[in-house]
Amino acid sequence: MKQVYLDYQSAKPVDPRVIEGMTKYFHEAFGNPSALHQVGDTATDALDESRKTIAKFINADEDEIIFTSGATEAINLGIIGYALKNKKKGNHIIMSEIEHISIHNIFKHLERLGFEISKVPVGQYGKVNLRKLERRITEQTILITVGMASNEIGTIQPINEIGKLAAEKGITFHTDAVAAQGLHPIDVRKDNINLMALSSNDFYGPRGVGVLYMQKKYRVNPLIIGGGQERGLRSGSEDIPGIVGMKLAVDIMKKEMNIEVKRFTGYRDRLIKQVLDEVPDSYLNGHPTDRLASNAHFRFDGIEGESILLSFKDLGISVSTGSACTSKTLEPSHTLIATGLLHEEAHGSLQLTTGRFNTDNDIERALEVVPQVVSRLRDLSPIYKKK
Amino acid sequence: MKSTKYSEKVLDHFRNPRNVGSLEGDDVAVGKVGNPTCGDIMEVYLRIDGEKIIDAKFRTFGCGSAIATTSMTTEMVVGMTLDEAMEVSRGDVADELDGLPPIKMHCSNLAADALHEAITSYRKGRGEIVQEVVKLAAPEPGCVVGQDEYLDKGVWLAVDDPPAFKDLRTLIIHSGDESVLAALELTEFTDRVILLTPEKSVVTTPEIQEQLVYSSVKVLTESRLLEIRGEFEVEKVLIFNIDEDEEYELFVDAVVIID
Repeated sequence: MKQVYLDYQSAKPVDPRVIEGMTKYFHEAFGNPSALHQVGDTATDALDESRKTIAKFINADEDEIIFTSGATEAINLGIIGYALKNKKKGNHIIMSEIEHISIHNIFKHLERLGFEISKVPVGQYGKVNLRKLERRITEQTILITVGMASNEIGTIQPINEIGKLAAEKGITFHTDAVAAQGLHPIDVRKDNINLMALSSNDFYGPRGVGVLYMQKKYRVNPLIIGGGQERGLRSGSEDIPGIVGMKLAVDIMKKEMNIEVKRFTGYRDRLIKQVLDEVPDSYLNGHPTDRLASNAHFRFDGIEGESILLSFKDLGISVSTGSACTSKTLEPSHTLIATGLLHEEAHGSLQLTTGRFNTDNDIERALEVVPQVVSRLRDLSPIYKKK
Repeated sequence: MKSTKYSEKVLDHFRNPRNVGSLEGDDVAVGKVGNPTCGDIMEVYLRIDGEKIIDAKFRTFGCGSAIATTSMTTEMVVGMTLDEAMEVSRGDVADELDGLPPIKMHCSNLAADALHEAITSYRKGRGEIVQEVVKLAAPEPGCVVGQDEYLDKGVWLAVDDPPAFKDLRTLIIHSGDESVLAALELTEFTDRVILLTPEKSVVTTPEIQEQLVYSSVKVLTESRLLEIRGEFEVEKVLIFNIDEDEEYELFVDAVVIID
């Protein structure tokens, strides 16, 4: 059976062009940038070049890029590192209700360390409410973090307005750009972003590499102490092949993003229109227009997400759901709940995210399968009532 | 272990569930367990001849193991006596399916409970067991915490200006036809209107009832509003589900309480 992958939000394959370009850094140009000989210099050049390329892609300077072991570490360094460094200025931090689960967990940790956290609600389509955000700001507020787009429902946040508000109030603004990167233009200057996390894999680079963008004059406490790499902010010998991989992925992204996003938008709009038209009692989760080009997120009355996922799996299609039955905690998606859904509604959700290697046929196949799966599960369901 | 790492037998019952459907008649026992909040509802129907189960059907809303365990249970019990079926445990059902992922052992392995409930209520119906009087612990109506505090901060006592509700997630407390009509009217301005009633259904005229069914209004039955919450304005409500005896929070932007 031909496999169809529609879960690009959870992981992306590495672009074969990236793998090809990385190879020599494993064996020929394997040096340690800290070493002063020729082999070390080659590594230093590769590191510098990568830093420049990535900085330019987000309109930052190269000394504002800190390489990490991935987006999770970048977010830890950006949020925990910043909070610890600046705790004398205040102990209050604001986040949105629909941040990635990793950020929710980071804030639980910060609460235990004595910080106070406010969560700003979102509207029914998942957008942060600016008025509510502003009202939560206090004298003690040192940091605001709002993800550029939701990794679940794909809603794009009013980042420019949030950045402006934070700048006016003199509060540092952190954004997790992972869900949006490669799908949405990023300009840290225009949007007044002070701290930002990126992952290599979400550019179709290798996993295990990420970046914290930190604007000049902002400071964080390092979380990993050692040989003083990355200006002492992230010690440990640099993963040169991985970093070069991220750089190569950005090179490709620069050239292809615009065309690619148009293609994904076509897929998305087709998926949304056809599913809502063909499946009774189906709904779109997230924003009708301000959403990532790759994201189609539905819910269906009367059925449960894990059953949907298993049915798709049997048909060779990889998808995702916000149902509790697939989560580690057995709680439904906090993002869906924050948009105002009841638990029973969040359970019946289906997330389709497209990416670089999808074709029209994949979309065709998904559209063929969705009504079948929903109808079969509804036939089993005691709570689905046909209108 | 992954929560969806199922045995071939579980997958077989998920893919080809046995005995889907329902049964009717005086000789039928019905058991229902679970609730939509936790993501599983299982209904088991047994046709009983004397002391013997001669047919079994089920309907399930839930994950793969919820569907497979109910399917398996209906297969196991046909031919058993009621006493034998009462002995069938959750563990027996899981064993018959070659096991379940540990995380699923409790949350979606309730088919045996539905079976026991069916038999017990059948026996009660025949007077074989004395029915216990269950006292409902539902809180008294009419005491919404925060109603006055949030007045004009998201709490409305009338819907005079429907456009003001544009894109607001609005919870309307059912208080006669006026509240239902207000809910229907608001669907023109926002995709999210929830009508809350403590009754099992919204009691109204047949015409309004029909409009309601075909509208986008989400009806929450057997539910009471306990508390309004939020920083500075309405942001969440605390709802009590009378049937399940459970409280939960729901994100909303407006609450309409028409007296």
